[in-house]
Amino acid sequence: MRHGYASFLLAHCLRRFNGERTLAAAYHLFSGKKSAQTLQDSKWFQLEPLFGTWKNVTMTALEAAAAALVEQRLALSAKQRTYTLTAAGEEWFVGQAALFPRHLNGWRYHEAEPLFWQRLSLIGQTLSNLVYGRRFAPICRDERTLQWVKQYLLAKGSRQMLAEALYQELIRLLEAVSEEAAAIFTLRLTSAVRIGWTMEQIAAHLQKDALYVQFQFRNVLHYIMAEAEAGRAPMMAELMSGLTPAVLTQSAQKTYEWLRKGKTVEDIAKLRRLKRSTIEDHVVEIAANVPGFSIAPFVDDEKAAAIRAAAQALRTRKLKEIREALDGKVSYFEIRLVLAKEVGRWTS
Amino acid sequence: MDELTKTLHMQFGYASFRPGQREVAEDVLAGRDVLAMLPTGSGKSLCYQLPAYLLQGSVLIVSPLVSLMEDQVEQLRRRGEKRVIAFHSLLDAEEKWQALASLAKFRFIYASPEMLQSAKFLTALRRVCISLFVVDEAHCISQWGYDFRPDFLKLGEIRRTLGAPPCLALTATAPPEVQEDIIRTLGMDGARRHIYSVDRPNIALRVEHCSSTEDKAARLADYAKRLEGPGIIYFSSRQWAEEMARRLEQRGVGRVAYYHAGMDGEQRLLVQQQFFYGQLDIVCCTSAFGMGVNKENVRFVLHFHMPAQLEAYVQEIGRAGRDGAPSLAVLFYADGDRAIAQAMAEAELLSPRELREWCRRLPEGAGWEAVMAALETAGFTDIQKRLLAYFLEREQRAMPGWLTAEAKERLYGKMAAAIEARRRWKRKKLQEMDEWVHLSSCRRQALVRAFGEELTDRRNVCCDRCGLSLDGYERAVRRPEAAPVRHWREELWDMFFGGGRTNEAAK
Repeated sequence: MRHGYASFLLAHCLRRFNGERTLAAAYHLFSGKKSAQTLQDSKWFQLEPLFGTWKNVTMTALEAAAAALVEQRLALSAKQRTYTLTAAGEEWFVGQAALFPRHLNGWRYHEAEPLFWQRLSLIGQTLSNLVYGRRFAPICRDERTLQWVKQYLLAKGSRQMLAEALYQELIRLLEAVSEEAAAIFTLRLTSAVRIGWTMEQIAAHLQKDALYVQFQFRNVLHYIMAEAEAGRAPMMAELMSGLTPAVLTQSAQKTYEWLRKGKTVEDIAKLRRLKRSTIEDHVVEIAANVPGFSIAPFVDDEKAAAIRAAAQALRTRKLKEIREALDGKVSYFEIRLVLAKEVGRWTS
Repeated sequence: MDELTKTLHMQFGYASFRPGQREVAEDVLAGRDVLAMLPTGSGKSLCYQLPAYLLQGSVLIVSPLVSLMEDQVEQLRRRGEKRVIAFHSLLDAEEKWQALASLAKFRFIYASPEMLQSAKFLTALRRVCISLFVVDEAHCISQWGYDFRPDFLKLGEIRRTLGAPPCLALTATAPPEVQEDIIRTLGMDGARRHIYSVDRPNIALRVEHCSSTEDKAARLADYAKRLEGPGIIYFSSRQWAEEMARRLEQRGVGRVAYYHAGMDGEQRLLVQQQFFYGQLDIVCCTSAFGMGVNKENVRFVLHFHMPAQLEAYVQEIGRAGRDGAPSLAVLFYADGDRAIAQAMAEAELLSPRELREWCRRLPEGAGWEAVMAALETAGFTDIQKRLLAYFLEREQRAMPGWLTAEAKERLYGKMAAAIEARRRWKRKKLQEMDEWVHLSSCRRQALVRAFGEELTDRRNVCCDRCGLSLDGYERAVRRPEAAPVRHWREELWDMFFGGGRTNEAAK
């Protein structure tokens, strides 16, 4: 690959940001920062698939990726740490679009994914070793997973049938992804005859970028989790038990419960001994994520209409510009609420 | 057959003891305090695991590293032991508190030193009959041990809190002054000492003097190519470990991977297990690799950078030849390596300027808590903080209730002196290592002398100074090719249905 996969992923973000966010926003998006700003960004710019999918990303890596794009004249630096794709960049990106992992859903799965993978790989290793009649050292050290897998296998009875079922289900799931993705995923698995390969080992074997391999792997994992949730992969659904992602962060969930009991933002801030602004963040998160949540108690209809009109006229999602256009008569909280709702409508 | 041997056979499946094991276990069972220094790879953990089956109550084991603890727990479980639990920071809080209620039912309770700081945990422990208090890697107690962990200093007090159960301190590398420190800190005067030689007769020693770093790299690659594996190669930096792994792989040396603390937990465990199960020939690593790697047949340990002291070197080369078969340790040295080792060793020490600056900024009139808080926010590395906290706690008693300008000055003076003393000690240790590298006489003799021993008899195979031929260590046959990767369907079939059956369904 002439351009590293990091450049490709970054280009995807830059296209969506359209000059309205800096590299820092991409950094927070990939690392999965739970701030109101990042949560909203990923919605507004429809970057949910990438949310929290590159946890150990560094600013240095993104700067290098951006520099590579600029050097190839695929992107331009407008101002400090803000980049936009050039026409050539646009063309290049569209030509590579197939590289985007299309099942990726970081927004929904980034939290559940590590535990799900631990369960899946440990069950695979355990069943494989039972079939071979070998003792083994578990490939996972997480006490929660060890306990869970033990309980699961004890409850299941016949190991032979379970191995058969897991095999059949994996074959069926992997047939639905690309040959390459299926190969990557299989190499990551540990069995009685082979300890799983590291991302780098697979990358060296395939002569591909390690980051690319990592995203391909994650792509398969998210696909499997989605199939499980859709009821099309019964054993995977069992592995998902207790891991189904919550729509709201824990803290926002609490705020939501108080709101439903009729408390105001002020009341809740006092009750929970949190800053007003924190509770406001929660309300915005709820507005963006809970269908049917009404923002009427927080923004009056006239203001909401004005904000919508300004956002559309200016073709921007920059809070500051919208507020200035309305002569500062609306608060940032109100703008964020309206935009959160809007995005909900566009994407659903 | 006596009861000890019977239990050894029943619980562990061994027919006989390795040197030292029986002697230590007998003293432990007699309720004595014991300090045991047994060389790496000699089966130290059996010294408490065996008595645990003959004692009433639980055995508490304090261990410095989470990964080490996990390895032990995992090995016990694999043997079928269910009554084992580990408490450390990586455990889920909820789980921990649940287990506390039923602590007494566990035969083995592993704990990290920081868990033992928790009042809740200690209260729960006090309700349990602790029949033996084990301190693993006990050299971590001593400021003069090569892996000093200030957390360990409180273990003496904790032991008293728990009613002073009999104590077993285990280490592989403790020179006499460190042994004294261990005994004093743990309050085990009158302890029986079982000190076995650090010498590992089956490991031949060699130093390669090279003209430059590149020369080192080239010669190391030669060795790696010629020597019978599997082997471990130590580096003092992550970058070099990665770089060399790549170079060796390119030169067709075999299946090579790297390992260091910068990798995520899963990738680290994969490399460790690949090595254990023979999927890898060589691991290029930092000192993060090794503790808990129970591989019997490691044939060589190479050092691309020299460690900062002999104790660390002994510990690392001790990972070779646990099966007793002839093995080789080679250290590659070039000018400038001493400076690298010194920089690494002294990274934990603040410079006088940094220390003065920090002391100057301490809020005047504030109390002790403010000093500790200032330590947290100063932007020091973890290891610097750990050491400073230790020095500070030592000075706490000499401090007045709140900080005056004068008290700040005094604090600076004392801290600077403590840091300087540590710097001098580190230089002395490095000097000792450096002298060993440049030795013209027997290396084995010098090595054991550093631990206060003498060699009693001459070995047939010893070191480059006594004459050492590499013939016996070279690879007789070509290294096996990595197993070819097959189509993923076949890989998956192998995983669940294994040999014997033909792969009809996958076709």
